[in-house]
Amino acid sequence: MKVLVLTEQKLMEFLASARTAYDVRVPVSLHDGTRVIGRLGEGPLAIKGGAINQKITSIFFPHMETVLKCSNGGFESPEPAPKPMLVVGFTKQDADCLEFIDRFYNDKFRDDVYFNKRDNAVIVCVSGRCGANGKLLKVSGDNCDMELICDGQDYIVRAYTDVGKSLIEDIGSTEIVPEETLEQIEKESDQLCVEGLDLLNAASKLLLEDKVPDEFWQSISDRCIACTSCNLACPTCTCFDVFDRTNGCGIDRWRIWDSCQLDGFMREASGHNPMGQELIRTRRRIHHKLAADVTRWGHITCYQCGRCDNVCPTGIGIMSVCKEMVEKYG
Amino acid sequence: MKRTLTTCPYCGTGCMFYLLVDDKDTLVGIEPSSEHVTAKGQLCVKGWNAHHFVNHPDRLTTPLIRKNGILEEVGWDEALDLVVSKLKQAQSAGGKDSAMFVSSAKTTNEENYLMMKLARAVFKTNNIDHCARLCHSSTVIGLMETLGSGAMTNSIDCMEKADCIFVTGPNTTEQHPLIGTRIIENVTKNGAKLIVADNRKIRLARLADIHVRWKNGTDVPFLNSIMNVIIAEGLEDNEFISKRTENYEELKIVVADYPPEKAAEICGITAQEIVDVARMFAAAKRAMIVYSMGITQHTHGVDNVKCCANLAMLTGNVGSPGTGVNPLRGQNNVQGACDMGALPNVFSGYQKVTDPDVRKKFEKAWRVRNLPGEIVHTVTTAINAAAEGSLKAMYIMGENPMMSDPDQNHVREALEKLDFLVVQDIFPTITSDYADVILPATTYAEKDGTFTSTERRVQRVSKAIEPINQSRPDWQILCDIAALAGYEGMKYDSVSDIMDEIASVTPIYGGISYERIDMIGLQWPCPDRNHPGTKILHVDKFSRGLGKFSPARYRPSVEMPDEEYPFVLSTGRSYFHFHSGTMTRRSQLLDREQRFPYVEISPQDAAEHAIAPGSWMYVATRRGEVKVKANVTDVAKKGVLFMPFHYKEGPANLLTINALDPVANIPEYKVCAAKIRKAQ
Repeated sequence: MKVLVLTEQKLMEFLASARTAYDVRVPVSLHDGTRVIGRLGEGPLAIKGGAINQKITSIFFPHMETVLKCSNGGFESPEPAPKPMLVVGFTKQDADCLEFIDRFYNDKFRDDVYFNKRDNAVIVCVSGRCGANGKLLKVSGDNCDMELICDGQDYIVRAYTDVGKSLIEDIGSTEIVPEETLEQIEKESDQLCVEGLDLLNAASKLLLEDKVPDEFWQSISDRCIACTSCNLACPTCTCFDVFDRTNGCGIDRWRIWDSCQLDGFMREASGHNPMGQELIRTRRRIHHKLAADVTRWGHITCYQCGRCDNVCPTGIGIMSVCKEMVEKYG
Repeated sequence: MKRTLTTCPYCGTGCMFYLLVDDKDTLVGIEPSSEHVTAKGQLCVKGWNAHHFVNHPDRLTTPLIRKNGILEEVGWDEALDLVVSKLKQAQSAGGKDSAMFVSSAKTTNEENYLMMKLARAVFKTNNIDHCARLCHSSTVIGLMETLGSGAMTNSIDCMEKADCIFVTGPNTTEQHPLIGTRIIENVTKNGAKLIVADNRKIRLARLADIHVRWKNGTDVPFLNSIMNVIIAEGLEDNEFISKRTENYEELKIVVADYPPEKAAEICGITAQEIVDVARMFAAAKRAMIVYSMGITQHTHGVDNVKCCANLAMLTGNVGSPGTGVNPLRGQNNVQGACDMGALPNVFSGYQKVTDPDVRKKFEKAWRVRNLPGEIVHTVTTAINAAAEGSLKAMYIMGENPMMSDPDQNHVREALEKLDFLVVQDIFPTITSDYADVILPATTYAEKDGTFTSTERRVQRVSKAIEPINQSRPDWQILCDIAALAGYEGMKYDSVSDIMDEIASVTPIYGGISYERIDMIGLQWPCPDRNHPGTKILHVDKFSRGLGKFSPARYRPSVEMPDEEYPFVLSTGRSYFHFHSGTMTRRSQLLDREQRFPYVEISPQDAAEHAIAPGSWMYVATRRGEVKVKANVTDVAKKGVLFMPFHYKEGPANLLTINALDPVANIPEYKVCAAKIRKAQ
């Protein structure tokens, strides 16, 4: 089978050339080995190693950003970026998350600040034999512009959209890879995540049927220190708070990631707080993605990326909580 | 977007993270380091928000001098000239010890070392101290006497290795969150036993096998009685005692006076609780003591610390993984500030100023003569001396005594009486309201240096952005002052050179260099360039040779509840704010979370005084009265109030008592008598 295959060196060359038209972001290894999505050259390329720990959607919805500026009696939106982004490093689950928050930010009220960055951005997924400790990453399919499927060393390149195909054409040369290599990866990929999805579905059913008592949520919230990491790492958590800051000649309005695990998140000016108890906040974190969103969007909005389970210092990420819940009440 | 790896400026856990900087040199976010030995890709809520205050518009950005009662912007030269001339003037009039230098646990090791050097080498006084006086001075003294080193004996990862963890006095999930989470993980996943001895029903208490809610201030009889039971039931580690310790007979005599029934009466608990704690602790193969301010901030703080050390030695729980006496240091660099000798009695590395040979060594290294050997003032006695009029000048770097010292009215009187006060800080504070000169310093994000975490890990602080406006790193300001005062020995090309000097005169830091701690810190003692650092202290022998049992007898707290003031008031920190609030109250989410001063009060007490949850109320002591919101919660025990000290509009330290431990001079923040009333 003739497909485009790139060595890491060739991939680097391709990404470097793409910088003419794009603001290229790739997985890099930082000073101490932490892997993040950064600018090409910010550190050694670090595509292999699995999903990036940081909130992957922070590329388009960063920790803190200006949403408007007020000076001389008028308002200004932030200037759009000079180039669209080309982002490498989304996993299949990450791309699913992105697809969801694209819909979320476009629903009813379109979030211009988000789409200033998101519009025309090229999403390049990474899959195959390049997960953490050599594990297989699920093949993405068509929920991205391009995909790099790692065979353990090199990358088989697939394009799904017009922009992706056009980029591939620019690369040119193709190589032959054994057909079974790709087939085997796809076959193994199809086996992945079923167990996790079954667990989420079972937990979702319990929540929708209201079969999980408060005592369960209390026992989970006893172990929650309100670090907020679950929300700040989750690619589908989209909540933010706003604040104003003077800048010498005017005022900037900023937004900053918020967390439903904070008491102040829904506290009213009167002091009344519909989420004023820890157990309610803990319940909401899980309930929102597995029950409320099912009602609103028709599906669960956790895509099993694993970030909240990785980042939670006390082991109560969504998968861990669902496991306990299903074991007890399922 | 630029990323810079640095160390968190809040508690002493020492998590490292990346600061995110946009193209306009503004901090716009945090990313945890997934590789850091403590952070492991995780952070607490303060860590996630540690970038927010740096670019706040309130930052001090220009030197200020008070002229005719009004602060006016001036240039650096004018400000520093005035600082030097006024300090010299005060010393000329009142003697060298009429000036006090207050260093800071927020600043770097290099800056603490230089402040110490400035006080001793340039201004020839040992009047150098910092806020460790207010938090762990009792630890430094108590553990030095018993074990020979006043620091955490073990490492943070030992929290995951203990079979039994005895937590007495810290609220770890709030004050050292990632340490607290290690305890939670060990308990919930490995089934480690957890004993929480704390008046408040803190989060860890919910997961504890035993939670003892004794009366505040009865630590000594409680701990003595535990030891009484252990000895009576033959649960002590005789081999460890005979091979590794001394003075055991003296301990036996003292703790014999504290049988459980007697101690239980003093402590307000049952004898069975004491017996249960003793048996659970002694039965564990690896038992660890974790303590903090609940132990140290008493007029018997040193006694409390010594009792903790006695208990660990009695059961052979020192010098191995998952054991030890582990004081958790509350600020990013309070361990380092102590290590650097920002204390009146020691140079860096705890080398005593009273030892003539040590003084000679530093005189040679610093190329000066006649370093002072007399110890005169600590932070707390200096305030007293200022109030009495004998102390004339203070140079305060990065501290806020109006908020953090006991009895605010007393502190105000002291600061008002000073002939000259210079405050060097990042934001205006209510302490700087009394300053004659204000020097704008940079935050951690605008400078290079090192912090030393609670587990003695020396780690890098790296500059992410340029200093804002005219602010300058503390170390550069200190060097300029030394030069203006005529001293040539404080000129450095970089902070790395300062660390090299520290290593050359400080045996426990002898092997530390920027090259070695580039990515991962090193734990002292690290005596030479090939030494890998020390995870656990006292492994084969104690730092002092033999561990010394130092028994203590019960002395009640100074101000106990009475008919007029029937409540016990205890003070401390909350999860979302830090110390005097200068940073966290300028961080959007943290300030939103706890925006108003509050007091924790039990549901029973609130009901008896018709105080509704969230309503305003007054807390009063013999020092004054403060209006706060009622946080009605079962975290508080009936009869006991708890107030955080972060709020200048509701300052807990307006209420606290200026009563000091006779040895450590640490104030009794944890016990004073109070009364309450509903606000109309």
